Amino acid sequence: MTPGFARFLEHYGIVLVVIVMMLVLAAIRPEVFLSAQNLTNILKQNASLALLALGMFVVIVTAGIDLSVGSIMALSMVTLAIASKAGLPWPLVLLIGPAIGIIVGWVNGIGLTVLRLPHSFIMTLGTLNVARGLTFLVTNGAPVSGLQPEVRYLGQAYYSFGLAPPAGLPASLLLVAACAVGLWFFLEHTDMGRHIFAIGGNPQAARVSGINVDRTLVVVYIISGFFAGLSGLLLAGRTDSGFPNAGIGIELDAIAAVIIGGASFFGGRGTVLGVLAGVLIMGILRNGLNINNVSAFWQQILIGLVIIVAVYVDVLRRQAAVRT
Amino acid sequence: MKKLLMTGVALAALAAMTGGADAAYVLAMKGPGAGNPFWAAVEQGAKDKGAELGVEVVVVAPPAESDVQAQITQIEDLIAQGIDGLAIAPTDPNALAPVVDAAKAAGVPVVFVDTRGINEGVTFIGTNNEAGAALAADFMCKNLPSGAEVAILQGLISQSTGQARADGAKKGLTDCGLKVVAEQTAEWDRAKGLAVTENILAGNPNIKGIFGSNDNMALGAVEALKAASKLQDVMVVGFDANPDAAASILAGEMTASVAQAPGNMGAYAIQALVDLKAGKTLEAWIDTGTVLVTKENAEQYK
Repeated sequence: MTPGFARFLEHYGIVLVVIVMMLVLAAIRPEVFLSAQNLTNILKQNASLALLALGMFVVIVTAGIDLSVGSIMALSMVTLAIASKAGLPWPLVLLIGPAIGIIVGWVNGIGLTVLRLPHSFIMTLGTLNVARGLTFLVTNGAPVSGLQPEVRYLGQAYYSFGLAPPAGLPASLLLVAACAVGLWFFLEHTDMGRHIFAIGGNPQAARVSGINVDRTLVVVYIISGFFAGLSGLLLAGRTDSGFPNAGIGIELDAIAAVIIGGASFFGGRGTVLGVLAGVLIMGILRNGLNINNVSAFWQQILIGLVIIVAVYVDVLRRQAAVRT
Repeated sequence: MKKLLMTGVALAALAAMTGGADAAYVLAMKGPGAGNPFWAAVEQGAKDKGAELGVEVVVVAPPAESDVQAQITQIEDLIAQGIDGLAIAPTDPNALAPVVDAAKAAGVPVVFVDTRGINEGVTFIGTNNEAGAALAADFMCKNLPSGAEVAILQGLISQSTGQARADGAKKGLTDCGLKVVAEQTAEWDRAKGLAVTENILAGNPNIKGIFGSNDNMALGAVEALKAASKLQDVMVVGFDANPDAAASILAGEMTASVAQAPGNMGAYAIQALVDLKAGKTLEAWIDTGTVLVTKENAEQYK
């Protein structure tokens, strides 16, 4: 293997996996899988997971974990749904989801840095429960449906470009793309972004080299919360409802997507592109199994296996890259 | 000392929340306080009946729908406290069977509500889900041309309710000559109902009817059809007749739903426990009934 090819694999191997999966599914059921409608479905169905995964990625880069994202998403959804039904002006309603995410994320960051809880797993496990409980409390457990059309826009709208509905470019994809580019720029081209990677690589070294680790960590959890709140806005828009059971267990999907996408669980390594590829791998796999009418039980087994295989392939890939 | 104080505070808070449940009829539901407007109605029916009969009714539920372990713990703790009767919707009939036996052994009258358990000799108070789904299938048969393509959104088919509704619908739809082209689970969830319907539409563009095993999934299907501009061509029938579904039926989006009588479940359950306590015997199955909800009668379910 030439060094150039090894480096290409190192950076874009995960994207190749996505392409191979698409080719396989296209070969099995070309008339369905490659239809504009189905491709649109894959993008729409995974937009809110993509946002959660982007936020989770920033946390995992610092060798942390944020278990609260599913609950933040649900709390944002129901709160904005209640506000929308109460007739609050829609521009304000749009801000509620991200605002709630920022608040819970800030609480996570404070718990980690001020209370000095030993690992983010513990603080975010706490807020996972608190936010979910609040979600049930404010809704009394019942879904709140019927949102203002402007509030639904990001989650529901799509630009058909002459394709037959419901095919087209989803507005949610544009939001995900904007968030991904923004996050990439932040991580790669700002001091704080660099610091985040440094903290993940070696927190002690980061501290001695003058990085304000605590402040940076608080920002990291705020970012994760912000994305979770934004994903709540998308899912509420898509389903026209804030339902309190939304996103139970979805934090694990977000973690899986980040890990499949090549980020290291021990921090300091990973790319935004890889995370998006990780989300697509899970999304395409589910879609492929659905359109082939594979039972939900098998789907769960296969997704578990893919997590293991994807990370193992990543390990092999890295070993090969080191040897050349 | 500090720890002791904290424990004391926690216990006091707990006591304040439960109001102390010595000697009461317990309704142990499967999902949280509501989690679903359905459970809210069961709870209300039980409380109203309790007030009418002048007995105390305590309602408990696991924090998340179908959290088996939490429910077992709750029931065990309640039996330890001593209760007058237990009406339980088991999250998992097999897993809860030993606890139900323990309650019976402690002399506590027990009935099953909504979901049938496996314990012998315990009266079941609830809907015949298979018959309810057949009612929905029958409606679709009468309103769709023979041979039309239809799809079934299943609930969790590892649960008896999900299984019964899927079976009842499939049998009813197939028997009258409709063609079931897709059966997939959307796990009772609105977002999943939406996604699964999108996938079904991608593979089966000619679909004419969708049966959702609950309204949440049916409402998700409605959103998918709206986005595909196909709502006017596809009939969506749900199950539960929750307020959202009733509003959707009145707005001309969903076509019909099947109402259980959750209020009846709560009320009949408390009545049954009081009867058992008084030494009466009960039928093996007290049917709480189902009714088809369409534009004509949806108003009362809003």
